[in-house]
Amino acid sequence: MLDLFQLVLQIAVILVAARIVGFLFQKINQPQVMGEMVAGILLGPSLLGWLAPGVSAALFPPASLSYLNALSQVGLVVFMFVVGLALNPSELHGYGHAAVLTSHVSIVAPFCLGGLTALYLYPRLSDDGVTFTGFALFMGAAMSITAFPVLARILSERGLVRSRMGTLAIACAAVDDVTGWCILAYIVVLVRVTHAARPAWVTIAGSIAYVLIMLFVVRRILPAFERAFRKRDRLTDNLVATIVVLVLASALATEWLGIHLLFGAFLMGAIMPKTPEFTRYLLHKFESVTVVLLLPLFFAYTGLRTRIGVGGGRAIWFYSAIVIVVAITGKLGGSMFAARLAGMPWREAASLGILMNTRGLMELVILNIGLDIGVISPAMFSIMVLMALVTTFMTTPLLEWVYPTRLLRAQVDEIHKNVA
Amino acid sequence: MYLLLVGVPVLGLLGILEAGRSIAAPLSIGGEWALESTPTADCANPPGSLQRQLAWSVSQSGNQALITLHDGYGTTLQATIDGATFTAKSPVASITATIAGKLDQRTLEGKVTLLGCAPVAFHAVRQAPRKRGA
Repeated sequence: MLDLFQLVLQIAVILVAARIVGFLFQKINQPQVMGEMVAGILLGPSLLGWLAPGVSAALFPPASLSYLNALSQVGLVVFMFVVGLALNPSELHGYGHAAVLTSHVSIVAPFCLGGLTALYLYPRLSDDGVTFTGFALFMGAAMSITAFPVLARILSERGLVRSRMGTLAIACAAVDDVTGWCILAYIVVLVRVTHAARPAWVTIAGSIAYVLIMLFVVRRILPAFERAFRKRDRLTDNLVATIVVLVLASALATEWLGIHLLFGAFLMGAIMPKTPEFTRYLLHKFESVTVVLLLPLFFAYTGLRTRIGVGGGRAIWFYSAIVIVVAITGKLGGSMFAARLAGMPWREAASLGILMNTRGLMELVILNIGLDIGVISPAMFSIMVLMALVTTFMTTPLLEWVYPTRLLRAQVDEIHKNVA
Repeated sequence: MYLLLVGVPVLGLLGILEAGRSIAAPLSIGGEWALESTPTADCANPPGSLQRQLAWSVSQSGNQALITLHDGYGTTLQATIDGATFTAKSPVASITATIAGKLDQRTLEGKVTLLGCAPVAFHAVRQAPRKRGA
């Protein structure tokens, strides 16, 4: 039965922890979201459950977590809509050879290295309930993801959005995001079909029909919202509610088809009209409550499932080191190498690689899906969460080291002079 | 250049997926289990909660597993899987069992020893494997 007092207390504790740790991380030039992710881990068995198991058990008893999970899933549905909304397909045009090569290599290189690592980790951290193909593809997809929202925020904070490297990074991250989610959708279908009562053809044919309907029917209806916005410079509450219902309907459709409800929310955001004012308005409407209230709940729920260094002995730390090295080599190294071959100077190519290596909360979203569908084990989940934290944490200091702010400002000033 | 940097690794990935098919992973025991056992009378100081224990859940990562007894106290045992042999230990109990059956009909057959008691034979049936696609 729902213990409302406990749920509200949990939310309050999570929000306080998220704001405090987020603030502290901002003080060391890390994005707020990095601190919130760490706050979630600190509230779980990796710290609070280890230091004060009694407090942890009283505050987060296992039976109460389903409510926290439900709230965090609703938050993720809205968040994925926001991510899709912020994705502008027109950004993918006009970057030519460098963007195509860099984005594709930045997916393929970590994907292959992830698959290669799976050869070693599958017999050690998986079981015969998961096929090697499912495990290896998931490892590849998880290694190749880039946190589009975190990357955009870092670029914005450093005034890099309009630089050549910044625009290229956004274009590549957008390609990576779409590709990563498509691959993940395939993996989810692959895993679910072998265990579901529904025939595979229903999922496959239904998914194709769903995408076609979204692209050729729903997408043509959506500009009506934008026209209504232009008339009054705002949307009525009824129209905002209609958008929410459309997001939920799309999420339910993909969940029913056996993909995952987050894909539906993401696709609905991706096909929304992309005029800057309309997008800004919707982002403002949806982002605040999601980012401030619901995402910290997701981080906390993730943290409660993560047991960094708890059990497993030295071997777990060894596997963690392998995963982190492979993830950085594949993503950072692959992107940097491809950008350099496409003609970028070393410094910019290295910076692009560092930015693409940011995995952030998109990685956590994917890992939670993997754990939910059983394609990764709890230990593998914890290792990958640690990898997501390390690769996200290293972005800002590494970027400052490779491409100091003073150099960046000089470059941006020069661009402004040339434009003038 | 594109073919070299993208096409070749994709072919390599296909090779990895093919090579991985022959790799065997530890037997899956994760999920909820129901036990059938005969409570022993040969027990100096019977830990009643465990004696009545009829279910447990297993969280598995490779050949390591964590068993949580549904005893109201959340008693846990660290377990190891070696082939078809399953052993688990904690300060209050130890389990040795053989894993049998196909993936969807997995069973455990063995003995559970509670602190201060004689070993008790048990037969456990997996009720639901680790959640997949739910």
